[in-house]
Amino acid sequence: MAGTITIKLVFSGGLELLFGNEQNQSVLIPSFVPSDNSTHSSSSSSSSATSSHNDIPSTGETKAADLEYLIYHLRDHLLKERPELFMENGTIRPGILVLINNTDWELEGEGSYQLCNNDEIVFISTLHGG
Amino acid sequence: MSSSCGNPAADEQALMPRRLKFGNTKDCVRCRFKLGNIVIRHAVYCKECFTPMVDMKFRKALEPSVNARAGTSKRPKLKASGNLCLGFSGGLGSSILLDIVHNTYFSTRPPLDDSGKPRGGTNHPRNASVWPSCIVCYVEVCGAFAGMQDRTEDIRSVVERYPSFDFVPLRIEDAFDGSWWTTVSGSNTTPQIWLELGKDGLITDGLHVASEVNGLTPVEAMRSYLSSLPTQTAISSALQNLTRVLILHTAHSRGSSHLLFGSSLTSLSIALLSSISQGGGYAIREELQEEWAPVVASGSKPSNVLRIVRPLRDVTAKECAVYAWWNNISVIGRDKQRRAILGIAALTKNFVVGLEKDYPSTVSTIARTCEKLEPKDAPSGQCRLCKRPMQSAIQEWKSRISIRSYSDEKLAADLAHIPSACRSVLDSSTPSHVPLLPSLTDFLCYSCHTTLTSRSSRGVKQSVPGVSSATPLPIWVADRGLYEDGLMGIGARRKISEEEMLHTVAKFLTDNQACEE
Repeated sequence: MAGTITIKLVFSGGLELLFGNEQNQSVLIPSFVPSDNSTHSSSSSSSSATSSHNDIPSTGETKAADLEYLIYHLRDHLLKERPELFMENGTIRPGILVLINNTDWELEGEGSYQLCNNDEIVFISTLHGG
Repeated sequence: MSSSCGNPAADEQALMPRRLKFGNTKDCVRCRFKLGNIVIRHAVYCKECFTPMVDMKFRKALEPSVNARAGTSKRPKLKASGNLCLGFSGGLGSSILLDIVHNTYFSTRPPLDDSGKPRGGTNHPRNASVWPSCIVCYVEVCGAFAGMQDRTEDIRSVVERYPSFDFVPLRIEDAFDGSWWTTVSGSNTTPQIWLELGKDGLITDGLHVASEVNGLTPVEAMRSYLSSLPTQTAISSALQNLTRVLILHTAHSRGSSHLLFGSSLTSLSIALLSSISQGGGYAIREELQEEWAPVVASGSKPSNVLRIVRPLRDVTAKECAVYAWWNNISVIGRDKQRRAILGIAALTKNFVVGLEKDYPSTVSTIARTCEKLEPKDAPSGQCRLCKRPMQSAIQEWKSRISIRSYSDEKLAADLAHIPSACRSVLDSSTPSHVPLLPSLTDFLCYSCHTTLTSRSSRGVKQSVPGVSSATPLPIWVADRGLYEDGLMGIGARRKISEEEMLHTVAKFLTDNQACEE
């Protein structure tokens, strides 16, 4: 589909329980998204939306789809329960590791990393101890 | 997120660039050749250098403790005095522990001949092994939580992937099972100890041993014990102590010289702070590493010492997660209900995890600082409940810092300033100079005493209706017999119930009347 990119997702470390117990998923997101990360008009995903936690209308400005937007998109369209266990203060919750194509997101600019088609994003929870 | 630098000459819309979480380069600090894949405490590692780095940290933390004596050689041949025991919870750290131990010390086992013996004979140099065998202990806790699934068979399937390991499943209620205690201690005469409950259904501050004994199953006894604890923190702490002591005795009874836990640096720092918050500061060094043996009766042969090591203590939770991911180690994880820990432990965990995100080196600082702590005096013994070193003169110290009674009658009568939950506990009629009756208090560490008797504004579920007004304690509390400690048996002073007192007095009067006639 023109204007969209496919992102492969992997949830591990117990995080998959928040996403319908499916470890491997994929999403289609627009190449350009609202700058304020509004996901109100974004319905192109592999799973049906349950409830949107972010119904703020877009201000009109756009940006290239980045990881920060993807996190909002996952919270609003894929997450089945307990959003507070996935996101906190506008970013991923502490204790969740993010790998972009097998590389730490801290090396790729964290939320400002611009997504490319067929990127693999892995979310691993480190919160289940020893 | 980025924020303004505050320079009035700068553009109002200009934002300070976010400080990088690593050095100036993205190249691996180890090989300096490849681009890095992971940032660990400001250092960048590539995928190929990361795994050997973690393996090296593991071995550096473990191998100095393997040999019974340090010796003079800088690189001594490793040979343990007993077998190895691994504590396995199904979590991230312990899953990695199993994998690394297997790959490092057991996967290079020599091929066996048709009779099952090592080829070349047991004395062949290539057949030397650090530990002759390894057991994996798992404690199932579903009995403590209603509706929790029993995961013993799931855990068994994980352990079976490592053919060199023997699986030893335990249950949390074994702590109240005399038959389990007979298996590990050889003693079949250890009585079940019960503590009296107060009017509010909670354990009283005096920790008096009750006289009545009811025939509860181990599960019922365990649930009665947990429901008698005053706070959610106490329940969480009690489960950890029960799990730990169950594994300690099991490992020791099976001839283990080393017991390993998979606590990462992150979970260790959480445990240290949580323990300090609950009064466990005296045994803080034992949280890191300890040598343990069950206390034997006087005159008996000393027990072999069990070394408890946490080889992942220098590996953060992030490193553990990446290690598991890149080495395809599947992690069962813990039950959702079990992971919902409450109380001080949960608050501490949230704090440390949040700290680690923005200030990763602070987590290591917590553990390093605790390593330097040492108690001023030698322990006065071993706590009967948690089997950790016990500080001396705790009762004296508590009596000095707490109000036990009021000498002013008017103040004693006015209880408005005391929370209602604590009013029944405060005994305004007991003069301070009356010596305290011997009670279990003298045989518990400060942390365990606090666990049993702390008061909180948050209530817990009251005792199950129909259960006696006493709560059972873990079976090992009466180990060595409380007779020699003066807590039970002839000559022991203990608080008895009113009915028993009336019965005793009535019998005395009846006997006397019969004699006069």
